Amino acid sequence: MLEFTGWLLDLFEDPREGLVLYFIDEDGARRRLIYPFPVTFYALGSDVELRALWRHLSNRPREITLRRTQRMDVFKRRMVMALAVTVQNPYEVSKVFRQTAAHFPHLEYADADLQVSLRFAAKTKAFPLSRCRVVADEDHKLETIDILEDAWVLKTMPIPLRIMTLSPDVAPHHARPHYLKAAIGDEEYHFDLQTWRPLLVNLRALIQRYDPDLLLTDWGDTWLLPRLLQQSEKYHIPLGLNREVGRGVSWHEERTYFSYGQIVYRGQQIHLFGRCHIDRQNAMLWDDYRLDGTIEVSRITALPLQTASRVSPGTGISSIEMLTALREGILVPWQKQQAEMLKPAADLFTADQGGLVYQPHIGVHKHVAQIDFVSLYPAIMVHFNISPETILPDPQGDNMVPALGLAIDTSQDGLVPKALRPLLEKRIAMKKYLASKPSWDPFRKNFSRRASALKWLLVTCFGYLGYKNARFGRIEAHQAVTAYGREALLRAKEAAEDLGFEVIQLYVDGLWVQHPDKTQPADIEPLLLEIQARTALPISLDGIYRWVVFVGSRQDKNRPVANRYFGVFQDGSIKVRGIDARRRDSTPFVSQAQMHLLELLASKDQPEEALPEAIAFLQERLRALRHRQVDLSDLLVRQRLGRKLAAYRTPSPAARAVLQLQSVGKEMRPGQRVPFLYTLGRPGVFAWDMPQRPNPQAVDVARYQRLLLRAAGIVLESWGWDEKRLTEKMLSDASQLKLPTLPKPHPEKHGHQVRRLTDSQASHALSGP
Amino acid sequence: MGRTLPSATQLMLNEEAALSRFRRALRRGDQLVFDDLFTAAQKHISAAAYAAHALPFETFLMAMLIEEHKEVMRLRKIIEVLQEMHA
Repeated sequence: MLEFTGWLLDLFEDPREGLVLYFIDEDGARRRLIYPFPVTFYALGSDVELRALWRHLSNRPREITLRRTQRMDVFKRRMVMALAVTVQNPYEVSKVFRQTAAHFPHLEYADADLQVSLRFAAKTKAFPLSRCRVVADEDHKLETIDILEDAWVLKTMPIPLRIMTLSPDVAPHHARPHYLKAAIGDEEYHFDLQTWRPLLVNLRALIQRYDPDLLLTDWGDTWLLPRLLQQSEKYHIPLGLNREVGRGVSWHEERTYFSYGQIVYRGQQIHLFGRCHIDRQNAMLWDDYRLDGTIEVSRITALPLQTASRVSPGTGISSIEMLTALREGILVPWQKQQAEMLKPAADLFTADQGGLVYQPHIGVHKHVAQIDFVSLYPAIMVHFNISPETILPDPQGDNMVPALGLAIDTSQDGLVPKALRPLLEKRIAMKKYLASKPSWDPFRKNFSRRASALKWLLVTCFGYLGYKNARFGRIEAHQAVTAYGREALLRAKEAAEDLGFEVIQLYVDGLWVQHPDKTQPADIEPLLLEIQARTALPISLDGIYRWVVFVGSRQDKNRPVANRYFGVFQDGSIKVRGIDARRRDSTPFVSQAQMHLLELLASKDQPEEALPEAIAFLQERLRALRHRQVDLSDLLVRQRLGRKLAAYRTPSPAARAVLQLQSVGKEMRPGQRVPFLYTLGRPGVFAWDMPQRPNPQAVDVARYQRLLLRAAGIVLESWGWDEKRLTEKMLSDASQLKLPTLPKPHPEKHGHQVRRLTDSQASHALSGP
Repeated sequence: MGRTLPSATQLMLNEEAALSRFRRALRRGDQLVFDDLFTAAQKHISAAAYAAHALPFETFLMAMLIEEHKEVMRLRKIIEVLQEMHA
């Protein structure tokens, strides 16, 4: 008899034992338990076909048991007849299912392709990294497991994870690494990458001595681990990367896919058994999440840490929904067979809309309060009970969706609201905690990383309601959410206007309002209460801007765009959206300078007072650029390769950089970011990952100058210094300094700009001939 | 009252109602301008009735334009007078 308290570290299927579980005992031991875990999938279809399937599978009684049963089909909103196929060993289930589906392609299947950790969590409530009380028999067979903290606890006991970090000294795709850094606790070791045998021997000794739970690597998925495994085979020195003896590592292939109109690249992955491997360079949103956020994702999605660190928030949301369905005994469809409801074309006009967005007035606005709905779309789903199965096609009763011919069934909780409610409540609780605690609060970092993980899950849950292939998606539910969203925002606008505020801007889930006398948070409180009363949705004051500037579009600066602005809150913090300082493809040289200009403006009571300093700063930056005093790495542009090389008719700078890399045998896939410098002459770029060093004299100074002044113009324009005036000013200074003159902008750009009349011209025109 | 066709006033109310979603989404200041335009069109409701146009909204737009242009001409006059005073 074995009894202990600890954390579930990892679990996976095993050909002999069924399920293998690794635990961290709080007394320091690491424990491996086994658990026979039969799993079930369901086949649905006509009686004739189900009988045929029964006959087909009934000759393997030791592996497979069959049973007729009734299950809940959430889309049909009733119980349906199903054949339950129970496979004794979870290791076999995917094979049995694949064969079955190939043999009987006309049947529908459910609960077929679920992660074993989800099934385990649905059955025992224990999820990866949960703290639990475990009882096992003398053969290390798990008997009972009880969780001590559920996934929604705010302050959890810290897990005593033993972490080993492994990283090469430089990025391997950029240059050849010379040594490998291994760190555990306070100790750090450097291994020479030229001499593999000592490296392998020492690394093996380290792993044996410390027996880490987590290998945290840089480029471990794509470079380091493949390299280590290859060498370990060559020298016959097994490294013991796995804790589980007798299992190889598990490779997952690289892929490129489309998401939200962007092409995304994910490198190959290497998963271990009994020990976890996270590649920081390949992990999802590592800069935001860190280990705290990643553990949070693993806990609430019930996906093992290694998987959780690499999946998109969308997959995370799917897991939460599937887990809820499993717990409720609702079938999880394998391939969704469900068409959109028929609706007249005219209905599409009102249904097929996104959020409500205003065109802001371009320019500076003072004392503007920004008010946001907290997680608007998830809150709508939870509050109005929006779920694929709660949408009623024939409108009846008083639960009509605004402006759509749909109604919501509120007689019972929908699946999606049920899955989201605890997530939403946890995020709101964390936000409240963060808002109420001082900046030195010890939990602050941990909370903000975990809150960021929750935020991304909530942001994507709405998209998954409308995604055709999502298992619990339905386009009408998606449309209902945006319809409620527009209604909520309009009601908020009306509330603001009724209380005498001017609405500067509306943007999907937030509004910017202004009132000459109401400039303190306490003055805004009545408005928040009024909006809450009218919409029944949680709303919060993001802050009050001392000033905020809405800028025009990149193509035509007189044309307003919704989400391009910057401003300074009353506490001095700066908020920036859509301009260079925020964009991931802008060079550090430009975005840092732009951010510095913003800080200068923010540092003064009246932003105008900062102008002389700002101009001097720009001159200094240009001088540094001209004299090659700017680090080349600060001049790097990181653009995404948008398509395959062959698909370019005129290659973009990024594509030209990739062509360069190709000529030295380095391949890039669409979706990967390519770092490069703008250089003089052809091809106009220099790919950063080329083997030779870039020539500092070849840098296209004029181009960077233009990028800098454009970015500076965006910020300073509202105070009279637009790009043109800045350029003229810098040029006149440049002629004294012998700076290179700027090439003229392309004449096309002036073609469709309407000339503005000056005051004198206007009065002349008015007075007539 | 035995009408086979809606009256011009009725038509205008219909058009205004058809635009109510548009009006609702406007900023309050713009909503007032919107109402002004319909008030202006109302001044020509009898002419619109007489015209019996197949697309009544075109007539209403024309009526709004007439009122707008009258206002422009009035303002231009004022500016001319003011400029003469200052000259």
